[in-house]
Amino acid sequence: MLKSIKVFTLIFLVVVLVACNGGQSSTSTSSGSTNEEAGQNSNEVEESNNEEDRTLVIGIPTDIKSFDIHDHNQIITEAVHINIFSYLLKRDKEMEVQPDLVKDYKVIDDEVWEFDLKEGVTFHNGDVLTANDVKFTLERVAKDEALTEHSRLKVIKEVKVLDDHKFQIITDGPQPTLINLLSRIGSGILPQKYIEENGWDHFLSNPIGSGAFKFVEWRRDDRIILEPYENYYGGNIQDVDQVVFRVVPEVMTRINELITGGVDIVTDLTPDDITRIEDAEGVSATSAPSQRVALLGIQHREGYVTSDPKVREAIELAIDNEAITEHVLKGEATPTRTRVTPGNFGSNPDLFNTQLYDIERAKQLLQEAGYPNGVDITLTVPSDRYLKSKEVNETIAAMLKQAGINVNVQFVEYSRFVEMRNTGDFGDLYFAAYGNSLFDGSIALEEFATETGKERAGYENQEIADLWNEAHTNMNTQVRSKQYQKIQEIVAEERPHLYLYLQNEVYGTSDKVNFTPRTDSMIVIEDFIQ
Amino acid sequence: MTYIIRRLFQVIPVLIIVSFLVFLFVYLSGDPVALMLPEDASQAEIENMRKVLGLDKPFIVQYGIFLLNAVNGDFGQSFIYKQEALGIVLERLPATFELMIASIIVSTIIAIPLGVWSAIRRNTFVDLFISSSSILGKAMPNFWLGMMLVLLFSVTLQLLPVSGKGTIYHLILPAITAGTAMAAQLTRMLRSHMIEVLSQDYIRTARSKGLGSFVIIFKHALRNSMLPVITIIALQISTLVGGALITETVFSWPGLGQLIIQAIHARDMAVVQACVLVIAVFVIVVNLLADLLYRVVDPRIKYN
Amino acid sequence: MKWVKMLLVSKVGLIGVIIIILFTFTAIFAPLIVPHDPTEVNLGKSSLPPIWLDGGESTYLLGTDNLGRDVFSRIIYGSQISMLVGVCSVLVAGLIGIPVGLISGYYGGLVDSLLMRIVDSQIAIPSILLALVILGFMNPTLLTIIFVIGVSSWIAYARVVRSEVLSLKEREYVKAAKTMGVRHSFIMTRHLLPNVFSSIIVISTINVATSIITESSLSFLGLGPQSISWGSILSEGRDYLATNWWVATFPGIAITVTVLGIILFGDWLRDVLDPRTEV
Repeated sequence: MLKSIKVFTLIFLVVVLVACNGGQSSTSTSSGSTNEEAGQNSNEVEESNNEEDRTLVIGIPTDIKSFDIHDHNQIITEAVHINIFSYLLKRDKEMEVQPDLVKDYKVIDDEVWEFDLKEGVTFHNGDVLTANDVKFTLERVAKDEALTEHSRLKVIKEVKVLDDHKFQIITDGPQPTLINLLSRIGSGILPQKYIEENGWDHFLSNPIGSGAFKFVEWRRDDRIILEPYENYYGGNIQDVDQVVFRVVPEVMTRINELITGGVDIVTDLTPDDITRIEDAEGVSATSAPSQRVALLGIQHREGYVTSDPKVREAIELAIDNEAITEHVLKGEATPTRTRVTPGNFGSNPDLFNTQLYDIERAKQLLQEAGYPNGVDITLTVPSDRYLKSKEVNETIAAMLKQAGINVNVQFVEYSRFVEMRNTGDFGDLYFAAYGNSLFDGSIALEEFATETGKERAGYENQEIADLWNEAHTNMNTQVRSKQYQKIQEIVAEERPHLYLYLQNEVYGTSDKVNFTPRTDSMIVIEDFIQ
Repeated sequence: MTYIIRRLFQVIPVLIIVSFLVFLFVYLSGDPVALMLPEDASQAEIENMRKVLGLDKPFIVQYGIFLLNAVNGDFGQSFIYKQEALGIVLERLPATFELMIASIIVSTIIAIPLGVWSAIRRNTFVDLFISSSSILGKAMPNFWLGMMLVLLFSVTLQLLPVSGKGTIYHLILPAITAGTAMAAQLTRMLRSHMIEVLSQDYIRTARSKGLGSFVIIFKHALRNSMLPVITIIALQISTLVGGALITETVFSWPGLGQLIIQAIHARDMAVVQACVLVIAVFVIVVNLLADLLYRVVDPRIKYN
Repeated sequence: MKWVKMLLVSKVGLIGVIIIILFTFTAIFAPLIVPHDPTEVNLGKSSLPPIWLDGGESTYLLGTDNLGRDVFSRIIYGSQISMLVGVCSVLVAGLIGIPVGLISGYYGGLVDSLLMRIVDSQIAIPSILLALVILGFMNPTLLTIIFVIGVSSWIAYARVVRSEVLSLKEREYVKAAKTMGVRHSFIMTRHLLPNVFSSIIVISTINVATSIITESSLSFLGLGPQSISWGSILSEGRDYLATNWWVATFPGIAITVTVLGIILFGDWLRDVLDPRTEV
């Protein structure tokens, strides 16, 4: 009892103390006391529009999760990390994998890859980056089950250090996607010595990497401040003094900030914002395909009307994808019949930028299936997760209604949605939009080859499973590509998923900045600033 | 003194009830695992992560573990931030306080002259105008007011920053947004209180002594009205916190409001708990302080 | 008759009543008033401005949203949901708060202090925060929103009813009834409840207004009902505020005017029924 009194008194004190602090900081913003001066100065720089303005401000929708590169699966977080940490191999603007930290690499045999690091690469504290740092980084995520990226990178069995710059990665069986795995989310290399000497907590609040920018400050839910790293091995960035990622959750606010000059680049806009931005002076909108494909998952279990292939086909035929991409998404999407879109390994070009829309045939199919008076189905949609999911699904429901399919659209909160989807409790259809940061068909098609497809929609297909399993460890790229294309054809025919469109990512930029968006949604500052 | 200690003891069951309810709600809302893993993660991967995080244990065991740790000042780790939840919450607290203090200042600056003025000009056009505007201030949803203010002052006139925290200029619109409802409340209250005070004997005596009306109003009458003003602010602190939470969303203000909304969406149990408990403690402390202040200023109230 | 007279004397009360009647009328007769189906998507007519601006079309009085849905029709239909949420959540709050206040005030002692600790706990949490936390686990549907707003606003009833019961139970007739062995439940429902009724009416009026605002705030934070309510129209429209300002502006005005009417009516009611209560 006595202890708990102590604790509560402590909490009271803390709260009161912080309260006093809060009061102080509110006065200090007006008087400019030493405490906040640094922050205030940086603000003044960022808001003034004179020649002295050498701060690049990027408005992002959410704060980054953490500086633990292996423990997030968020594009925005990686878009910040990629400027601080270097990868072994990195995708360039055209999405070609290029050596970054490594000079080159070779495949020794199916399970052994040998890499040679560049020389003279240093972390932001001056320590030299060696093969030991690579071993430390990769083996950490390969062994720690609690890390988010573990499930992808556990294919690494061991990293064998040969000398300071040479190392081998030994994989668990043949891994044709190893290069993709090393150039996506969570591929940064961590400073072993710094972390072991100071501990993880210190690293997470004072992260260092070997990238073009070094960490200055992170004010939670407010901003992340970076500065060019003078000894960056790719050449010191000269054109900016500071880069600020500002957290601005509301779309409306991000646009207003852009138009009024508060930020230079904003991400995650909606297609409707383009006209508005184009109407304003000194700013413009730009977009690029993302890797995110919207789809309808279809129930295959007995007892649902969608277990009849004719009904599934009717659903696809009744949806005018071009109208959706044109009107609802204002042209910022491309109709697709596959999730493995161009640019991804194994993509099937026949299934991209096409649709089967034919409302009359859809009605006919429904009749043939024995539903001349129409059917009632349920569509489950996660609310507030995907771009314009509300409008898109309301439009889909309206389109299906014309073919005689009455859709009850139910919007549910995302976690609940995941549960419903994973247990097959979503009714007849569900809506989702999946990304793919691996640039390889394997992830996109995995669901149909494993238990997952059965768990979710009661869908199984032995042919797909065999093809996928072979492709998964197949080091022959040509055969592998063919295998993925074949799977996509089967999927388009049997419709465990009905793909809708590939989304574009819409950005707004100030005319002062020459920014071209990447299709992996990363914001690599050295791409557009020297 | 015994009174304070007794009041503090009453707080403990309150906090336990609050924590239990919040724990229950967050528990029922499902866990953060689905949000932590890639979006097409299979059920097996989800179960595995659940086990690693200790989320597969029964509810009451989880709550027991939480309570034991909480008593020792440990609210657990944030799933999202991988840090002590209490630390994350306390880090955001100053920003919310800044906004709240600014909105209290704004609302008193608006309310005092308006309240006094409409009391003096009772039942005139001025009074009617002030009274109806103050009802209007109460009737507007504050986030909508904030949106309209941004549209006018930041986007159209480009006078003030759109969002964010930094200079004093960044504070103006959020403070008005969060403070308007309170200003309306205070104006109405001040008006009726001033009318009452102005009709009292000592004011009439002062008048008959020939004191100027300015002196009478500001030195005598207004001073007597300050106590109820403070009380209203303290009683409304909970509403004010609620208003600040929403205002933060409109202006991307990096305070508790943003944090808790994200934490709720992400099912980040420890952060939600710490946030709610810190806010609860704060509200209780403010009410207690107001109560004590009232007793100090007005000794007629007994410590019962 | 006396009431009507009193109403006519108080201009403020009259304005309030007129607004409330209009509000109720539109809510009930919504299907007859609207020129368009509020859910009808017409992509060819998207983002039309209000009728008095360039490009406005005659049947779209207040313009259309980005899916070409008529804003006016949506606001008219929205009044149904807002009214439903306002009134029903107040019923929920009353159903919890009034019995708690009665029991707490009447029995006193341990029951009282236990119930009052719960009340204290809830006072310490801003109601919007409580609603947010609860909605985190419930799907935001119309029913759950009503429930959540009710649950987060019942304490006003509990406190007022309790304090009135505390003084009422000292009255002679209550004491007499007790000594005569009248059942407690009978005393509470027949002797105490009717006497606290006017306070309950006053609180309820104000609560309807706050509930409408709470609903719109929840919608703004992304936890509103999926049905067409003023809050949800406003929150969908906010992203288009600067291009299609009409989508978010008009529902905001609708909320403000309605809430204003209810507050004016509530003030008048308080003066008439119970000059003591200051809410």
